[in-house]
This record gives sequence, structure tokens and C-alpha cells, in this order.
Amino acid sequence: MAERNKRGRSGGGREARQAARSEPVTQGVPYITRKVPVYEVLDEEGLALIENNAETILQEIGVEFRGDVEALQIWKTAGADINSERVRIPRGLCKNLIQDNAPAEFTQHARNPERNVRIGGKNTVLVPAYGSPFVRDLEKGRRYATLEDFQNFVKLAYSTPYLHHSGGTICEPVDLPVNKRHFDMVYTHMRYSDKPFMGSVTAPERAQDTVDMAKVLFGKEFVKKNTVIVSLINANSPLVWDSTMLGALKVYARNNQACVVSPFCIAGAMSPVTVAATAAQLYAEALSGMAFAQLVRPGAPVIFGTFSSSMSMQSGAPTFGTPEPQLVLYIVAALARRLGVPFRSGGGLNSGKIADAQAAYEAANTLQHAMLAGVNFMLHTAGWLEGGLSMGYEKFIMDIDQAGMMHEFMKGVDLSENGLALDAIREVGPGQHYLGCDHTRTNFETAFFRSSVADNNSFEQWEVDGSLDTAQRANKIWHKMLDDYEMPAMDPAVDEALLAFIQQRKESFPDANY
Amino acid sequence: MSEEQDLIEEDEELDLSTLPDDELVLQMHDDLYDGLKEEIEEGTNILLSRGWSPDKVLSEALVEGMRIVGIDFRDGILFVPEVLLSANSMKGGMGILRPLLAETGAPPLGKAVIGTVKGDIHDIGKNLVGMMWEGAGFEVVDIGINNPVENYLEAIEEHKPDILGMSALLTTTMPYMKVVIDELGNQGIRDDLIVLVGGAPLNEEFGLAIGADAYCRDAAVAVETASSMITQRRESTPAIPQAAA
Ligand code: B1M
Repeated sequence: MAERNKRGRSGGGREARQAARSEPVTQGVPYITRKVPVYEVLDEEGLALIENNAETILQEIGVEFRGDVEALQIWKTAGADINSERVRIPRGLCKNLIQDNAPAEFTQHARNPERNVRIGGKNTVLVPAYGSPFVRDLEKGRRYATLEDFQNFVKLAYSTPYLHHSGGTICEPVDLPVNKRHFDMVYTHMRYSDKPFMGSVTAPERAQDTVDMAKVLFGKEFVKKNTVIVSLINANSPLVWDSTMLGALKVYARNNQACVVSPFCIAGAMSPVTVAATAAQLYAEALSGMAFAQLVRPGAPVIFGTFSSSMSMQSGAPTFGTPEPQLVLYIVAALARRLGVPFRSGGGLNSGKIADAQAAYEAANTLQHAMLAGVNFMLHTAGWLEGGLSMGYEKFIMDIDQAGMMHEFMKGVDLSENGLALDAIREVGPGQHYLGCDHTRTNFETAFFRSSVADNNSFEQWEVDGSLDTAQRANKIWHKMLDDYEMPAMDPAVDEALLAFIQQRKESFPDANY
Repeated sequence: MSEEQDLIEEDEELDLSTLPDDELVLQMHDDLYDGLKEEIEEGTNILLSRGWSPDKVLSEALVEGMRIVGIDFRDGILFVPEVLLSANSMKGGMGILRPLLAETGAPPLGKAVIGTVKGDIHDIGKNLVGMMWEGAGFEVVDIGINNPVENYLEAIEEHKPDILGMSALLTTTMPYMKVVIDELGNQGIRDDLIVLVGGAPLNEEFGLAIGADAYCRDAAVAVETASSMITQRRESTPAIPQAAA
């Protein structure tokens, strides 16, 4: 920060103002707490109908728990009907298991306690996108992601006040061996950020490594008693849980760590083409997964995670930001509230290949609906392109700009004396303007959200500034953010212990690419 | 209402066996387009009973019909569920023709084994490719998802395909395609097969780097590539009597 001028007036003149106005906002709220009501699209009767159909699906058709003998045994003991790998679950059993055991809200701890997030209830935690094999930026175009890209995105997510979480597989560092890259990914979250993060799920032993690294970072006792990892466990719709995901779920649940139990489906291929049927199937799948987590360890935190997309019936490609999945989102969010568990969905989903208009409006469609629906854990908030195949640097910046706007919107309407500002209306009176009145002078700086990406200047000014489009402006921003990035401090002993753990584990088995 | 009834009656009245050859073939193109399996089987049998060679039925009635389906799928006129029905109808016709073609010694259109690799359960794209291959008249053996190399070897041993298709959607599983290809090499059977790979996180460069014959970006390309590569191979290798196969 620039030094105050020495002449001593409180305003501080140009120097002070310049310093204050150019200071990047890095420290925001740890998460959003909504003051705006949720929006719903079905009434009691409609929701009850879907719940009833979900119970029918569980009881009559059942769900397959594939390749996991232990899971079948657990279900059998719980009273389900097992036929080969098919598990038929009596009506109400899943719901009871979840309502009797799973927390309605929980805290995920970060290594910096100021960044702890409260997941559930009226809270929303915004999380970067997940899972892309490719990255894209204006300079280098589309390419396979590397560890450097992964680190960059962790730095960017750390640097913005509008994301509360460091995410998980932000992009896949394909330059590292498949069976060891999780060490570097988890370490990057731990070291380059101090926000909470997600764990590895691609094999049970990788999940265990994540838990063991968390024990080094937070201490064994702390991890036993607190949730420090959230992980993404996908169903394989329709109505299947596979052994990889079940394996990871069991590791996390047993360690009291949270799982986002997510049936993600492309309606048309993985669920029927209609909204109500998709909602019922997703709900049944989520019930079976979350109840299973409670059987593995009663009280294990779970997030009811789902998002649906529609399918291009002309090619089979998933489509995003379309209207039907938004209806599903509203219904499933309401079901999660009725059940009493936190809900994950949404994100800046789109099928755009570059950070263009399609990418932006499809993303905006999903982000806004997800916020209104009452999502608690919003994975994929920033960076998503190409249906999740590519992580965009410029798109990341555009999305966090939207995330910033959502922060403001969720504050709702200020009905205080200052908010109502009758005095200002009295002071100014008819026919004058508000630009210089007391009320404006006290409030102008924070009154309106200021986008860092949008250009609101005149055409001529915009032209003088280089006629930059949105992506070009966003490009400058992420470069500056990376240049300005400062690594959060970490106790050197902890860092050494983490690195030693990683080294010892990496040396204990050969590299493999599967 | 009455118009609709008229249409239905017209449909019921259409007796394929009364059509002259040229009209029957055109009708079969329409029936393939509309995904009418029984009608395709019936038409196939009628043409055979009129003395058409299986080869001629195949190319003029079926393959030509599916070519039209392929064009309209590409152009977004036909939708996936419709193409699935067309492919099924094609499969019906092929079920009748295949044994007859084998008897005449005509080379079959092609046989493919396809599966998603170990550790990966993504199969929507793979299923589409299998469907389109069937539509093109290939015999397709789908070995499902999560396949270790042994499954591929067994299927190759049992079915002796022209083509091995592999699908992977995860960057953590796509390197496994190389494991399979390398093992084909070790077993000395790599050159007996055309290896095609696909899946959204792959690209051309990756396909070549792991030693596949081609990367296919979508199902339509998978059909074109498979057809042209089989033709190429047959032209470049002298016909050996395939008694054992
Ligand atoms: C000759 O042989 C050939 C030729 C051509 C071939 C071919 C073979 N195979 C395909 N083709 C080509 O032709 C087809 C038709 O035109 C095309 O096939 P595609 O498959 O590309 O296209 C289909 C028609 C439609 N596309 C798809 O079906 C894939 C869509 C996306 C969104 C996707 C889906 C649907 C799913 N997923 Co997954 N999934 C994603 C995908 C992102 C994306 N946009 O691609 C991706 C691939 N998944 C990912 C992830 C992370 C995961 N998924 C998982 C699970 C799932 C679902 C089960 C939910 C579901 C699959 C359902 C199913 N039955 O297949 C998990 C892994 C499970 C496992 N063990 O495999 C999990 C690990 C998530 C988790 N944490 O639980 C990401 C990849 C990460 C990485 N490291 O590479 C991902 C990019 C999405 C993301 N951003 O997270 C061509 O590629």
C-alpha cells in the first residue's frame, strides 16, 4: 500500500485515493448467506408425487451396486432385498437413514479458519469448475492441461474474493503419471491456497492418500473430529453405483469426510427425456447413495449433489444452459430441502468452445437459476467450457465477475433507514439530481456492483482503449492476478512433512498410466 | 381423423411382394429411414426369392438406404432415436444376408469389437459408435465398459474382428489404450487389426502417439474411417481364403 502523504489532512489527497481504489479486493466473505427467498416450480402435491415415484423406483426397480461385495452385504443387513448386484430398498428406508443421521448443515474447515465454509441451510459456497482435460487461453489456445495450469487456477481461485473454495480436479495435469498426480493436485490446493478443497476419487487408495495428507496438514485428531475434505462421488445413471466411486465414498465416509453424492445425468441417454421423470430418478439415486454413506458411517456428512443436462437428440452431445435442466434443478433443490441435506448443483455450465457469447449466456442461465433455486455448494462456478472438456482462463474471469454479482444480489433489499433514504429524497426534492447529496456521498462507493470485466464506456472511449472484447479484457485481468499472487504462509515444518509424505508414497510404487 | 385412418389403411394395404423390384428397393430405402425392421426383413427375403444375389440386396437395398440415413443424420434431419431404429432394421436385414454372403465367399462388410477401457464407465459415445457401425452393416461385438486388456484379447480371439474400437473419456484411462495396443504388438496380432480410438478428451495427436490407426472424433467419422480402412486393407492385401475364420 502506498504511504499516506505527510502533510496530514485526513483525506490524504490523490496518492491515498489512488492507492485505495487500485487495491484489489481479495478478502471477501467466506461464503454467501442468502437473504433472498428461494424460488420453486412445484407445489406440495407435485413434490410429493416425485418423492413417491422415487420410493417406487427404489423398491420396485432397485439400484445396482456394482463390483462391491461389501456394499451388498451392508445393504442386506440394513434390510434391503438383494438379487445379484441389484439392491431393492423398502419404501422410506433411505429417507429415514438420512434424516436420522446425516447433518443438515456442516462446516468444512480450511487451513485458514477465516476461510471455513458452512455448507447447507441458507449458505452458498462457490467452487471452481472441475474435471477438464484441456485448458484454453487467448495466447496459447486449446491444449492438454499441465500441473502448471492446475497451479495457476488454484492461484486464481485463491486470489478472488468471489470463490470460497479451491475446488478439486480443476483441470487434469496430464503431464504427470496417472497413479501419482493426485499427490501434486492435493498438495497444490494445500500449499498455494488456504481455502477449503476437494479430494481425489479416481481410486480408493487415492482417496486414502488425500485423507492422510489432510492428517499431516490439520493433525490426526482434528481430522477425526472435523470435516476438512469434500469429494465428488458420481452415480452412473441410470440406477448404478460403480466400484470406483463406492470405494472412494467408503474411504471418505469412514473418515468422517464429506461426499457430494451426485447423480449427474444427460437426460435422454441416462434418464427419461421428461423433467418429472428425471427428477424422480435422480432423487432415487441420490437417496440410495446418501443412505449408503450413513450405513457406512452414521452421521457422515453428505451433500445431495446433482445436475442434469439435456441431450442434443440430433448428435448425442450433452447440452447446457437449456431450460429443461433448470426445471429439474429447481425441483431437486426443493427435494433436498425437504429431506434436510445440503444441495449441490449449478455452475457456469455451457457448451461454448471459447469465451464467447454462447459460453457467457449459457453459463449465466445456469448460475442464476442455481442461485435462485438455493444451491449450497456450487461446483463448476468458474472456468467451465465445452461441456466440461476445457477450462478457460478468460472464462474463469468472466464467471467470477458473475459470482461477484451474485454476492450482491443475495444480500437482498436493505430496509434500514439508510436503505430507505427518505431524507435524501426530502433533501433533493423534485427536479434536482442525487449526485452530490449526503446520502449518495456516503454510499456511492459500495452502492452498485462494479464489474471488472464489463466495459460501460462510450464507443469512442472503448475504441481508444483498444477496442477490446470481453475475452481480451479478461485476459489482462488473469495475467495481472497471477503476477500479483502471493503464496499464503504455511508453517515450514508442516510443508516439509507434507513433501516428505508425498515423496515416501511416490517412491513406494512405480509410476503407471492407469 | 379420417385422413389419419386413410393413412393407416394405406399402410396396411401395402403388400411389398406386389411391388416391382425397382419400387421395392425404393420402398426399402424408405423403410430403413423409418426404422421398420420387419418390413426390411420381409423386403430382403422377397428380393432373395426373386433371385437377387445376397451381394446385390446388400449394396442396392440396404447399404444405399443407410447411406441416405447417414446423410440426414449428419445434416440434423434425423435424430438419434430414429437412427437407432434404422440401424436395428439394418441389423435385421443383415441377419438374413450374413450367412448367405459367407456361403458365396463375398467378403463381409466388416466385423468390429468395441469397448470402453479399464477404469472407465463412460459408454454413451461408444454405444452411438456401435449403433452407427451396425447401421453401416458391420457385425458389432460390444464388450461393454471397464475392460482390462484380457477382455479385448479374448474378444479378438473369439470373434476375429477387422476392427478393434476403444473408447475412453477420462485422461486417467486414455493411456490404457496404449497398454492394449502394446499388448496386441506383444502377441503379434497388432497388424491383423485396424485399431480405432475415440472419446472426447482424445485428439488426433494422441491417437497417433499411442499407435492407433486413427482417432475418430464422432460416430459418423468412425463409420467413414472404418469403411475406408477396411476397403484399403482389402485392396492392399491379396485375398486369402478365410477358411478358419
Ligand atoms: C472407434 O472407437 C470410438 C470412436 C469414436 C468414439 C469412441 C470410440 N468413443 C467416443 N467416440 C466419439 O463418438 C461419440 C459420438 O459422437 C463421441 O462420444 P462422447 O462420449 O464424446 O460423446 C457422447 C455422445 C456424449 N458425451 C458423454 O457421454 C460424456 C459427457 C460427460 C459430461 C460425462 C458424463 C456423461 C459422465 N461422467 Co464423466 N463425463 C464427462 C463428459 C464431459 C464431456 N462433455 O464430454 C467427463 C469425461 N467425465 C469426467 C469425470 C471427472 C468423471 N466422470 C464420471 C462419471 C460420469 C457419469 C457416470 C456421470 C456420466 C457417464 C455416463 C455414461 N453411461 O457414459 C466419473 C468417473 C467414473 C468412471 N469410473 O469412469 C468422474 C471421475 C466424476 C466423478 N468425480 O465422479 C471428466 C473427465 C476428467 C478427466 N480426468 O479426464 C469430464 C470431462 C467431465 C468433467 N469436466 O468433469 C465421440 O467422442
